[in-house]
Amino acid sequence: MTEKYIEACLPVDISDDDIYEAMREIPGYLDITPGDFKEVYLSAYRHAVLRLTRSVRVAEVMTKTVVSVTRKMPINLVAELMAEKKVSGIPVLENDGTVAGIISERDFMVTMGVGGAGTFMEVIATCLRGGSCLTAPLSERLAEDIMTSPPVTVKPETTLLEAANIMATRGINRLPVVDDMGHMVGIASRADVVRSSLVR
Amino acid sequence: MEFLAKMKGSTKSPPRVSGTEVLLAWLGSFVGIAAVAFISEKVVQASGVVLVIGSFGASAVLIYGAIKSPLAQPRNLVGGHLLSAVIGVAAFKLFHGIPWLAASIGVATAIAVMHVTKTLHPPGGATALIAVVGGDAIHSLGFTYVLVPVGAGVAIMLLVALIFNNIPKHRRYPEFWW
Repeated sequence: MTEKYIEACLPVDISDDDIYEAMREIPGYLDITPGDFKEVYLSAYRHAVLRLTRSVRVAEVMTKTVVSVTRKMPINLVAELMAEKKVSGIPVLENDGTVAGIISERDFMVTMGVGGAGTFMEVIATCLRGGSCLTAPLSERLAEDIMTSPPVTVKPETTLLEAANIMATRGINRLPVVDDMGHMVGIASRADVVRSSLVR
Repeated sequence: MEFLAKMKGSTKSPPRVSGTEVLLAWLGSFVGIAAVAFISEKVVQASGVVLVIGSFGASAVLIYGAIKSPLAQPRNLVGGHLLSAVIGVAAFKLFHGIPWLAASIGVATAIAVMHVTKTLHPPGGATALIAVVGGDAIHSLGFTYVLVPVGAGVAIMLLVALIFNNIPKHRRYPEFWW
């Protein structure tokens, strides 16, 4: 899994011809074949990605100002808030600031999609089939009814590599970051991880 | 079948160097070998020893013709020749009764030692071999072979490489000393 994730980060599929051309531009005889250079390059790139993902901590890339909701918030308000803040997922907090769960777009879709896989297209398909467009089952329900709980969380000192692997293996898009007391201090999204891997 | 497939090779040969590079390699090796051969002829031969051995031709390829190569750096040039010379002489002294064994042990051990000491320099293999197959003139030198011709010749070639390879604007030598 680790290998797969890191391969996905490789930006350039460098070819022997590219290396050949680059070697031509350097005056003097280079005592290496294009094939060997490519091997060195790919391996060095992998090391660089590992070094960055190992040395960078979640605390450095997480979003710190997080919109959150409470357990008892009706989900129509949750939806309004998520729409207004343009977020695709929102943490549900207990009164003491610990994380009770997390609500993503998918949780809404599962609720609306009458079971099933909870994809957006499934909701569309059910609507087009002439169903009651599925908003009915949503009314009067609360955040705690549809949230995914318990949530998968990470610590601020978790490395980016671990966080990326958790997201990839669990198939989730965001991880609440909690301190030792369990209080939420931020949220690390897939976008945060990708941005930090590529921009540095 | 994988065994045979490996013999097909997997990549292409590096590009040809520019005409300038060819010219510089020619000039550098001309000056380097000329210096060693001239001194050998005019100065050292009077005292009965030669300064030129075949492996210097191979060193010239590297230190004037492929100067960026790790194999061509001073550590490799000096270390490779000196260590190989010692090993070659020792191999002859120990196994001269069985010439083929003395030759092969000398070269093989020289390569291993150069690897271990990070001084791999292909001409070193020739330097070790010459100590065994170089005839009476070489054999009679004993371990002096390490200093003259090997050490002295290498010093002259290195000096020429340091001066010559740093004159052209886009050329520099060495990449590293140690």
